Amino acid sequence: MAFGFKRTIQSKGPDRFIINLREDLREVIAAVCDDVLAALDDENSPGRDPMLRRVFPVAHASDESVNEAYRDLVHSDLLRTRREALERVSATARDTELDRATLETWMIGLNTVRLVLGTRLDVSEDGFPQLEPDDPELPAWALYEFLGVLVGTVVDALARTV
Amino acid sequence: MRSPTAADVAPVEIDEPSIDTNLAIDRPWIVLVWNDPINLMSYVTYVLQKVFGYSNEKAESLMLDVHEKGRAVVSNGSKEKAELDVFRLHEHGLWATMQQD
Repeated sequence: MAFGFKRTIQSKGPDRFIINLREDLREVIAAVCDDVLAALDDENSPGRDPMLRRVFPVAHASDESVNEAYRDLVHSDLLRTRREALERVSATARDTELDRATLETWMIGLNTVRLVLGTRLDVSEDGFPQLEPDDPELPAWALYEFLGVLVGTVVDALARTV
Repeated sequence: MRSPTAADVAPVEIDEPSIDTNLAIDRPWIVLVWNDPINLMSYVTYVLQKVFGYSNEKAESLMLDVHEKGRAVVSNGSKEKAELDVFRLHEHGLWATMQQD
């Protein structure tokens, strides 16, 4: 008996990927990318906001002069490439077919969302916490888990067609 | 596998010059990736392959070092190269830092 299950991402060679996702999940993908874009725009000095600290990490564990030089050198590029990735994922969230470059952008963009959400949820190695069904954090955790599965699926599709 | 010879294990005697801060600039830098609870193991492996061109085996072994030991040295070189490597890892959301070896 065929239940009609399809791989979420079917590779048709190294540069063509069929995306089998429900419409409502595509809407979620676009919405979370737009949310993080808004957070990036909102912040005058990104990297200072604790929620964005994983998006703009320091370059040296202790040497502030190295960190300052690094920030001056790359911060605007890092912000720009992040924005471009999130905009691209949002714009292609409803596409049923992606080329490799776009799927790699999905990987980076969706992972950026996970970094921001995971920071907000203060994710630790312990993984998913025990939550009551009415816990207000439950939807955010469910979203975090969904994005984790999706990023894993994207990575698998890319890795098996290297 | 051959046995180690004296030449392999004997420490090399170096007449340490007094530290000159100008010379220190030329010392090679290392790039570290740190363990973090958010990035997936498969994601870290794929990024190391993509950014550095490492084989799947090498990338996976480095990823496991990060996971089990908390960090791993993933590249080294001049300060400029280390900065570029850190930037490319940061673009991919990995927790990377650089330091003088």
